[in-house]
Amino acid sequence: MPLNRESAFALLIVLSLASSLLGEDVGERWGTAEREREYYRIVSVPMPKDAVIEAGAFEVLPDRRLAIGTRRGDVYYVSGIDQEKPNPVYHRFATGLDEIFGLAYRDGALYVTQSCELSRIQDTDGDDQADRFDTVSDAWGYANYHEYAFGSKFDKQGNLYVALGLSASYHSRALFRGWALQITPEGKTIPIASGLRSPGGIGHNEHGAVFYIESQGPWNSSCSLKAVSPGSFMGHPASLNWYKYAPNMGSAPLQPESGTRIVTEKLRVKQLVPYAVVFPYIRMGRSITGFTVDRTGGRFGPFENQIFLGDYTQSIVMRATTEQVNGVWQGACYPFREGFSTGILNVQFTPEGNLITGGTNRGWPVRGIKPYALERIDWTGKMPFEIKRITIEPKGFKIMFTKPVARSRAKAEHFKVTTFTHIYHGGYGGPEVDRTTPKTVSLRFADDGLTAWIDLDQITVGHVHEFDLGELRSRDDEPLLHRHAYYTVNALPRADR
Amino acid sequence: MMSTRSFGLKHYRLLIALACVAVTTPVVAGVPPTVPALENDHPLSSKQVGDLLISELRCAACHGEHTDLGFSAPPAPSLNEVRSRVSIDFLRRYIADPGATDPGTTMPNVLDHLPESQRDSVAADLADYLQSLGTAQFKVGNVDSAEVARGKKLFHRVGCVACHNPRDKDESLVKLKGSVSLSHVEQKYGLQSLADFLFRPHDVRPGGRMPDMRLSRREATQIASYLIGKSKSASPAHQPDPVRVARGKTAFAEHGCAACHALPSQQPKSEPKPAPRWSAANSSRGCLDPKSKTTPRYRLSKEQTDAIRATIGAGPTKLDDRSKLNLTLAAFNCTACHTRAGFSGPTPERNPHFTTDEPNLGDHGRIPPTLDLAGAKFKTLWLQKVLFDAEVVRPYMHTRMPQFGEANTGHLPALFKRTDRLDPVDIPEPSREERRTLRDAGNRLLGDKGLNCVTCHNFNGLESPGFKGMDLMTTFERLEPAWFDRFMRSPGAMRPGIVMPTYWPDGKAVRTDVLDANTEQQIRALWYTFSLGRSAGTPSGMRHVGTKLVVTDKARVYRGRSRIAGYRGIAVGLPGGVNYAFNAETGALSGLWAGEFVSVNWNGQAAGNFNPAARAVSLPQDVSFYRLTDVKAAWPLRPVMTKEQPVNPDPLYPRNRGYRFLGYQLEDGVPTFRYHSDDLRIADRSTVLTAGDRRVLQRTLRFSTPKAQTVWFRALTGSFESNGSAHRLGKLTLTLPQSSLIDQTTVRPFEKAKELLVKLRLPAGESSLEIQYALEP
Repeated sequence: MPLNRESAFALLIVLSLASSLLGEDVGERWGTAEREREYYRIVSVPMPKDAVIEAGAFEVLPDRRLAIGTRRGDVYYVSGIDQEKPNPVYHRFATGLDEIFGLAYRDGALYVTQSCELSRIQDTDGDDQADRFDTVSDAWGYANYHEYAFGSKFDKQGNLYVALGLSASYHSRALFRGWALQITPEGKTIPIASGLRSPGGIGHNEHGAVFYIESQGPWNSSCSLKAVSPGSFMGHPASLNWYKYAPNMGSAPLQPESGTRIVTEKLRVKQLVPYAVVFPYIRMGRSITGFTVDRTGGRFGPFENQIFLGDYTQSIVMRATTEQVNGVWQGACYPFREGFSTGILNVQFTPEGNLITGGTNRGWPVRGIKPYALERIDWTGKMPFEIKRITIEPKGFKIMFTKPVARSRAKAEHFKVTTFTHIYHGGYGGPEVDRTTPKTVSLRFADDGLTAWIDLDQITVGHVHEFDLGELRSRDDEPLLHRHAYYTVNALPRADR
Repeated sequence: MMSTRSFGLKHYRLLIALACVAVTTPVVAGVPPTVPALENDHPLSSKQVGDLLISELRCAACHGEHTDLGFSAPPAPSLNEVRSRVSIDFLRRYIADPGATDPGTTMPNVLDHLPESQRDSVAADLADYLQSLGTAQFKVGNVDSAEVARGKKLFHRVGCVACHNPRDKDESLVKLKGSVSLSHVEQKYGLQSLADFLFRPHDVRPGGRMPDMRLSRREATQIASYLIGKSKSASPAHQPDPVRVARGKTAFAEHGCAACHALPSQQPKSEPKPAPRWSAANSSRGCLDPKSKTTPRYRLSKEQTDAIRATIGAGPTKLDDRSKLNLTLAAFNCTACHTRAGFSGPTPERNPHFTTDEPNLGDHGRIPPTLDLAGAKFKTLWLQKVLFDAEVVRPYMHTRMPQFGEANTGHLPALFKRTDRLDPVDIPEPSREERRTLRDAGNRLLGDKGLNCVTCHNFNGLESPGFKGMDLMTTFERLEPAWFDRFMRSPGAMRPGIVMPTYWPDGKAVRTDVLDANTEQQIRALWYTFSLGRSAGTPSGMRHVGTKLVVTDKARVYRGRSRIAGYRGIAVGLPGGVNYAFNAETGALSGLWAGEFVSVNWNGQAAGNFNPAARAVSLPQDVSFYRLTDVKAAWPLRPVMTKEQPVNPDPLYPRNRGYRFLGYQLEDGVPTFRYHSDDLRIADRSTVLTAGDRRVLQRTLRFSTPKAQTVWFRALTGSFESNGSAHRLGKLTLTLPQSSLIDQTTVRPFEKAKELLVKLRLPAGESSLEIQYALEP
């Protein structure tokens, strides 16, 4: 149902008012927390009584301390974060900064993304207190409190990336609101993508490509991970007004048409990049946030080289995996752990390979009951039975498991797949539409029972393929810890791949 | 290698030979092994007491499993690092006679059968053998007397005295029944080893009977300091004698130590044991015969002996859930702090040691909650969080919920849930249409325009203006609806003695103006509101306070949005009570004020903005350095966004006027702002001068330019009055210096008032200018 511009705008106003009110049910729980704790424990990390640590960003320093940047603008250096019974020492390295959503360390300095700028901060006199604050980039406008800025870690070339939210979450009234910027090692700022709405983090996926987190809202009916490359348009047209300030980006994309499907609209709007991994709304979070990649070498369990990320509203942590097919990024997301105490803003692997989560429940609806918290996820060493990774095949999917499946009992119909897509429109959020229920026509297992290949009678490009493998059992007769996974298909590999 | 088998074979005949010892036997003198809960009131049958003793005394290590209690017997303490943990003198004495050295210990004497002349020597052999297993040396440590006092306070406050004897003001022991003795502690431990043990007791004693009290490292050191008392002279480092080590290793196997103490160098304890299985055991012999010279020697009391005999006589039984639960509560002495039907709960003697920060909450603010119906009250996940993840909801209560370890009490949540039942109450989920009504009603009921729950309860980390009772945000996470419903209707019935009043007496709502005074609907509204967690919004009556940032003896810098400094604002508070704001987007010193620094808003999404904590003088926020083409040219003004024109029409305004912010550096907290105006570099630093009761900000502008240049500085706008080099705007007097850099000073009309422009002629290289901003009180 295509909306004309006026009615779309009216809808936006109504929805923006509604969404600004507290009092929403934040959605169903997965109901898996009691079982999850057997495999992944949530360890509460004590904080100093007089400190409010609403973590917005993390980094591990060369001396293995954990750096925490907070929404209140402090940077803490924390020793002992990995102690089995944590009793860490907090050292406030810097204070008085403006809402920190990015920390990256390089050559003796910490690069801090604040709402106002990307700063390089360092201690020059050796007292372990920041005393020099250099502005690396402030090449963006900042004229509304909701104009948050998220910063990445360094890529191999030494670039940093900053993702800039829209003005008041709907408009682009200040320069480059709704854009992603690249900041080169020389300090040059290059706008590389437009069309962002309300980013929750920016960084690199497991293959080293730049991705950012997008939140559900106009032109985004669910949260998603999106791939950012120079010249991209990420789908929300409010920010198209700044192309004249970014000559490197060429001419502005065509205005997308509301009420379409992104799979068709991207044929018309050539810069439009489809959502790489859609996180179905409510089932997989409501406002997903900062992500990181498991490079722990197996110390965190079976999910090495996968993306981990939290959700603010539902106080949960999820996994995601990505792959590039015909030059387009796509992939899957999977439930991981629920039951955190606060809204999660960011996650980070510690030197010992545990996952630190942190955040706050200030400002938006959150399930977690604490105003702020730091919690560490430790793998207990016990192997959960999980869907490890799903990748696409020309006629179906390859599904890897963490433990062998009882092959003799598994049937093709146990691999239940349904699909849907979203309306690509300017309304706030939106329903799941165009549902299909493909049939699993063949099933094959690897000898070790750890991998299954299924062929479907149809794969629908542009759709999220929702897996329910609840009837599978492991060889030890366990059900899956989480039965669902969600794969977003943007392209199909050729049969000769 | 000698094994436990040889112990048995060697002595088994003796055991049989001595089996004719009388059935009624005198009891060994001294303190019997302490299982604290058994010394207070409890609902356990004599047979169950026997079962519990068999568990706690680790009888199964030799005799095999008896009754399945639902939890494991405590593994014996780890001996791996005993060298650094325990003093050698203590270790020898303890091995020679555990019960005499540590009264009430559950460790039996295994050397009792030896001739008295040999015992000390074998004990010394064993001690040296155990010492040889460790690497780090035992250290006495220096006790800090200030920490002793803090430790005393903690010891009596956090819950240690629930299981250990308190001491009175004069440090005299107050002997209470059901106490595990600590009389041996000061001889046994060094400061560090005791602190380590208190910090993580389960590393050494994995059985969890000594729980983890969630002490920080510092607190553990403080309590250790208190228990050790005065520093003792350091004993010389002990080097184990290789001959003794070898003999000790043999003795360790020979005397059956490995049955309980697993050591890597010893054979596993799963070796077949020579001791009789329960079915073959004669309950008047062996360990239960105090005259036996062949078996480990427990100092059992007559009651304990009788209970074990009763149990052995009856044989293993299958226990129901309620019995298993009672046995668990007794084994871990949960009932030292919690009441539960049949148990005495906190005894009158220990009761005064339960204290609180919120005495107005009554006993419920200081004594842990009853466990009656705990399984029906709490959700499983919450029981897990409290038992295993150290979750707490009563920060005002000084006694801490200990952690017994998931390995030991992992069965407890499910056991509680199976044992405690209430008839279910259905609180129906609201339909989509009902949601808003119920949510608004719930919010109203919570706030000061309703039942005013928030006058006694905190809410989402915000302190209640009255009593600081339990944070209401936790309700839905913790409670089962059936318990919640009953509790709402009659708090006193579910929590006898609670200070919370009844808001629905006889089922009738006292608040008649909400949801038509319908009790079900009101309770449902509250439950639904709690289910929304943080998204439920803050009820009326909670205080939202701005946070004042305070400047003491060091300068403070705070970045944030502010009317006085723009979005890229920086507030600077200097010692001496002078504060200023800097707009980093344009490079303008944009405001000054005397007195307190800033207040910062920390509420909601739009947090982080600051406001001067006192009335401020505002200065222009446009770029302050610029190259005017001539004295008539207008000053370039920053773009202004309005409701009608919200989009910045000139987003590159500062950049295109030559301005670029480079950052700042701190010296003793005082910032120097660095910025460019085209190729002119400016370092901008302000400090405080005091002149009488006027407070003066001295601003030093240091210029650095590759070539001589002329630049205009815009110093003031507004309705100021000029008197020579002094210009007065409200309480501010700006004084320009006599400086060769100043080429011209111009006051000219600007909007409805004036602006003060200073033309600077800067030489190539470095130069500087000092401007004074004086504030009247």
